[in-house]
Amino acid sequence: TSNGTTTDFDGNYTIENVATDDILQFSFLGFASQEIPYEGQATLDVQLDEDQATLDEVVLIGYGSTSEQDATGAVEKISPEEFNQGAVVSPEQLISGKSAGVRITSSGGAPGSGSEIRIRGGSSLSGDNSPLIVVDGIPLDQRGVQGVRNQLNSINPSEIEDFVILKDAAATSIYGSRASNGVILITTKSGKKNTDLSVEVDVKASVGSITDKVDVLDAAQFRELIENQPGTDPSLLGDDNTNWQDRIYQTSVGTISNFTISKGFENFAFRVNYNNTVQTGVLRTDLYKRNAVNISLNQDLFDNSLKLSLTSKGIIDENEFADDGAIGAAVGFDPTQSVNDSSLPFGGYFEFNRTNDNGDIVPLNQATRNPLALLYLRDSQGETRRNITNLNVEYRFPFLRELKFNANAGFDYAENDGYNRRPFTSAAVTNVESPYNEDYSGINRNTLFDFYLNFKDEVNFLNTEVDLTAGHSYQEFYIQSQTRENPNDIITETFDINRNSLESYFARASFDIANKYLISASYRRDGSSRFSPDNRWSSFPSASIGWKLHEENFLKDSETLNQLKLRAGYGITGNQEIGPNYGYFGVYTPSISGAQYQFGNQFFNTLRPEDFDEDLKWEELETYNAGIDFGFFDNRLSGSVDAYYRETNDLLATVPVPAGANLSDLLVTNVGETVSRGVEVGINGDLVRSQDFNWSVNYNISFQDLEITKLSLGDDPDYFIPQGGIGGGVGNNIQLWKAGYDPSTFFVFRQVYNDQGQPIEGAYVDVNGDNEITEADRQPYKKATPDYFMGLTNTLNYKNFDLSFTFRGSFGNYVYNNAQSSNGFITAGTVTPQDYYSNLNSNVLETNFQNSQFFSDYYVQSADFVKLDNLSLGYFIPGEKIDIRPSVTVSNILTITDYEGLDPEISNGIDNNFYPRSRTFVLGVNFQFK
Amino acid sequence: ELELQPEDNRQSAETVFKDSESYKQFLAKLYAGLAISGQEGPAGDPDLEGLDEGFSQYMRLYFMMQELTTDEAVIGWNDGTIKDLHSQNWTSGNEFIRTMYSRLLYQVALTNEFLRQTTPELLDSRGVDDETRANIQDYRAEARFLRALSYYHTLDLFGNPPFVTEEDPIGAFLPEQIERPALFDYIESELLDIEDDLIAAGQNEYARADQGAAWMLLSKLYLNAPVYIGEDRNSDVITYTEKVINASYQLSDSYQKLFLADNNSNGAQNEIIFPVAFDGQKTQSYGGMTFIIHASIGGDMDPESFGVNSGWAGLRTTSALVNKFLDNNDNPIEEVADQRALFFSEGQSKEINDISSFTDGYAVTKYKNVDVDGNQGSDATGEFPDTDFPLFRLGDAYLMYAEAVVRGGGGSQSTAVGYINDLRERVGAETISGSDLTLDFILSERARELYWEAHRRTDLIRFNQFSENGIWPYKGGVPQGATTQSFRNLMPIPAADLGVNTNLTQNPGY
Repeated sequence: TSNGTTTDFDGNYTIENVATDDILQFSFLGFASQEIPYEGQATLDVQLDEDQATLDEVVLIGYGSTSEQDATGAVEKISPEEFNQGAVVSPEQLISGKSAGVRITSSGGAPGSGSEIRIRGGSSLSGDNSPLIVVDGIPLDQRGVQGVRNQLNSINPSEIEDFVILKDAAATSIYGSRASNGVILITTKSGKKNTDLSVEVDVKASVGSITDKVDVLDAAQFRELIENQPGTDPSLLGDDNTNWQDRIYQTSVGTISNFTISKGFENFAFRVNYNNTVQTGVLRTDLYKRNAVNISLNQDLFDNSLKLSLTSKGIIDENEFADDGAIGAAVGFDPTQSVNDSSLPFGGYFEFNRTNDNGDIVPLNQATRNPLALLYLRDSQGETRRNITNLNVEYRFPFLRELKFNANAGFDYAENDGYNRRPFTSAAVTNVESPYNEDYSGINRNTLFDFYLNFKDEVNFLNTEVDLTAGHSYQEFYIQSQTRENPNDIITETFDINRNSLESYFARASFDIANKYLISASYRRDGSSRFSPDNRWSSFPSASIGWKLHEENFLKDSETLNQLKLRAGYGITGNQEIGPNYGYFGVYTPSISGAQYQFGNQFFNTLRPEDFDEDLKWEELETYNAGIDFGFFDNRLSGSVDAYYRETNDLLATVPVPAGANLSDLLVTNVGETVSRGVEVGINGDLVRSQDFNWSVNYNISFQDLEITKLSLGDDPDYFIPQGGIGGGVGNNIQLWKAGYDPSTFFVFRQVYNDQGQPIEGAYVDVNGDNEITEADRQPYKKATPDYFMGLTNTLNYKNFDLSFTFRGSFGNYVYNNAQSSNGFITAGTVTPQDYYSNLNSNVLETNFQNSQFFSDYYVQSADFVKLDNLSLGYFIPGEKIDIRPSVTVSNILTITDYEGLDPEISNGIDNNFYPRSRTFVLGVNFQFK
Repeated sequence: ELELQPEDNRQSAETVFKDSESYKQFLAKLYAGLAISGQEGPAGDPDLEGLDEGFSQYMRLYFMMQELTTDEAVIGWNDGTIKDLHSQNWTSGNEFIRTMYSRLLYQVALTNEFLRQTTPELLDSRGVDDETRANIQDYRAEARFLRALSYYHTLDLFGNPPFVTEEDPIGAFLPEQIERPALFDYIESELLDIEDDLIAAGQNEYARADQGAAWMLLSKLYLNAPVYIGEDRNSDVITYTEKVINASYQLSDSYQKLFLADNNSNGAQNEIIFPVAFDGQKTQSYGGMTFIIHASIGGDMDPESFGVNSGWAGLRTTSALVNKFLDNNDNPIEEVADQRALFFSEGQSKEINDISSFTDGYAVTKYKNVDVDGNQGSDATGEFPDTDFPLFRLGDAYLMYAEAVVRGGGGSQSTAVGYINDLRERVGAETISGSDLTLDFILSERARELYWEAHRRTDLIRFNQFSENGIWPYKGGVPQGATTQSFRNLMPIPAADLGVNTNLTQNPGY
């Protein structure tokens, strides 16, 4: 027979009916169990050691926590020691390359810019494919907040305690309708009870520069080309030699400073952090600034029955936005022209111009604008003030300590304002007499109230640990935005309000039988304001099992194998991030000025009925997942392997609506299916573990495959929807959605080459054999997403030195080189609508294309890459009163690729005027005062 | 709270129609559907999302379909499959054809929704006052006219489109396909049915449709009846063109005035039966007149003299149109007396070597954003013109009457010759006699009088000169021109809609 009890919060316990020589087993989550024979003492004090097996860490799983040992879903926790080092402004960059199945692609090199985050590749077409991000218990608005470059910048990267990534439905379906793309739980640091006052100062300074430029003709080459081209007028050329790309880029500088104070008392702990970040862009006039305060307060009351935690983040995010149109302008601007010309009325800058009938010098409206003038004759600033606050109350019932009540009241409020101005002297302003002025402001408000009850106890007679949770959540999102534009003395104002809400009931039951067999099931029921009452509510169940093989007798005593767990799970999740808030009923939108219609002598604003789909409902994703967790040699070699298969049903896609049936040509509706599958492997190895030298390696590799299996109401196998607009002409799409293909598949003509391997202009494979090259000969070909990608992190310690570096690789991904295709043919430079010429991509010297060949597969280029993302070296100097750790980090060090463009890592696979990522050198020093 | 309603200026049908002004604003949307592309002029909040907003505008697309496919216009751009229109090798994947189709049926869907929202039962339940109700009766007739107009364009371009009326719901259902003759009958019956409900010819507010507009549309329907239904309805053409001609419309005293910024007030408005109205400040679009005027300026042309700030260097014409004004092909175009020969030839070659090069082919200077005194239109930036597009005008009625006479529909040959000479005298061209009035002459004369007014494709098909007959530069994709197959007299049903709507069958040949 067995007999048990639990301790109170101070760790006191009593247990009765214990006989001498009975064995008492003491256990606590995250600590190694101890077995002590009872020898008749009145008091038996026990101190448990933390479980050294890292696999048994406590991990958040949404509305509760578990241990990694007991997790039955694909859950991965990433802690600060694994984070990428350097001048990291955006939190998601901390974990780039760290987790199997997670692909993080920064959107470019702009300071403070965000990233595309994909967990298992995303399974929707038009629905949002970004994961749900939950910060200290508050699910953020998946649409982001207005006015910022990246809404995650509101979280100071240095204040992050850990990331927990929930990948499969067994783990995510407790988040129901927002869980299809995975969930990332971010926990920020808080004060610890009973700790001394700690003061920490951390300063980083960085310099960065671009690593490469788009390869264009220089002034001499360009002049030669124009002079030799029949029909051109070389007198339009200037006589300078300007490298426009050199002129628009600069060495960026930045600093990141953190000041942190924390202290813990017996019942109270606090942590306060102030962060200042300043980062200039490599593109001139670009600037990002952040001033943020994080406060965390924890108070225990009533004999520790009641725990109050308050986390509050206040952020002022300031931006000066460079006109990134300068990037394309610098590539296309005639290199024989000078930057400045004070004889022209364009603020001191040269612009292509003509003298009109009135004798005024006016810009050529269709010409490329002077890139420097675009940058310096614009003032575009924005500020966002944001507060994210959550109050968490946890109450353990005194009469039933296994039962606790947990409630969150949170809000995330942001207000932004900004403006965008150009003086009348700017050639980018069409009206020569008045400046351009745009002012905007807005509010984002996200309010949350949720609570749940949790019951956790050992049911002795079943030898089972039971963990039951049930709760309710309500969350509302409110977005208001207004703009006031004064382009041509006609004031245009817009004012938008969007509100949507989500109400949920959720429950989870987990059983750990004999510390061997794990069974877990969860259920969520969500109601969304975005759907009609008939479709409003939907259920998202999941079930999963686990088998801790290492606890079985035949493995329990194994010397080599200390951990082996099998997992399997199934679940349904949803996606409600579809865009429109009132998509299920018809609304009427009035027009604003400029869109009126004349009746007689009067102008009337118009009233437009909007398209809608009464039957609009959730997109649902069914996921099957199976996994193995293993640990060998005292976990010196550990890891996980997961395989999944997923089907999206009622796929939300913006698709052509049957003509005449609705009030638009495209409609967001539930149509089609996708199937995705993949294998993810993550391995951690402690290659060397010794007194002075430690070396650990983290490697992960992910194989992914996503395919559209059904796309329309009809069954035409040739049906496709063009996607992926490119630069160089309106209505030019280079990708397609088609059943049987990945959604990022390119859609091109097959180029014909001559004996020398040169592409023959205009010669394509006549696929359908009708002796004509028409649209019908365009074929699906390659895709932008990788077949597999990997990350490799090495962390080394030698005495007080530490060194870490991270490689990332991506394979099977292709990029459409739009930089070459839009400027890589002669007439792109010579046949212009007005009297000026445009510079060309040097690729024209290889192809000698006269005219555009946008849809040639010549431009679909392999973009496999291996990048050395960062390398960081630090040295720890311990002291009496102060510990000091200086460090140096280099980011974006090396890219190995065959891709001919600037950077092979382009999230949508279309390389067009990409804001180059910079290589950054960071010096940091950390002071820890004692 | 999960039952949320819009809180900004959007409103549900329930609340928006509490304001009786809303009906006229909704009607304004039906008309604006021909002129602008969304709710924020010139761009922003577009009606259609499948193509760039400027390109998706009704008149721009209709102009492209009717002119770029013919001898009257070429365009030099690289946008998508735009060049396939002139070389007549378009496929069912052509995005401009697709968007024209979407735009036409969008316009039909808008008018259907107007009719659903203005039924007597709904007006009763909303307690609409008598004055508003009386106005709504006019609006409903106009809405049905606008639907008939868009269905007529659909009939002409696509033949056998999906068919929806106010009896259908709004959703993602699959509309049934209608055959061309049945659609012809529907348009005819609608126009005849509303003829008496429409405000008398010339009596409605400017830019709103009246009886004259319905008669013009009936005339065009009957004139092309052999193409649409294989039947000769020329006597009906006589009937309805006579109604137009006998109404209060008057020829403008100058041809050029019809195409100027003040063509709603310089006298030309008396000739224009139904315009698509634009305004430089209040009705802005990158399609319509903005497109036609800007895109036809390039080379050595001075944008200011056209009242705009820039040329987009795209549209020109072929020598086939220019030659229609020349006695023999060696005369320079500047010496032609006919004032309708509005071409720019300085630095331009008459023949086209390279469609992409603006200077290949004469430019057309017909439309301008200046008034009769040469002053620029109301938009100070010179971006958006005031010029209205004359969709139906009296000159066309004269030519249709004459054609119906020659085709044996009755009427009087001498009257017909008189009408033609009225048009020719206005522009200083030599008058003709009865023996000159042949079908060949009429087809050429329609080109001279109505070029770039979006009639050409329909005319060529009616004269069987569009595909298997008729040659002009770069037709069929070759410099000297080549004939194409007759199935191209109909545009394809876009592949995008065929893939969605399983009730549809593709037009033959595609």
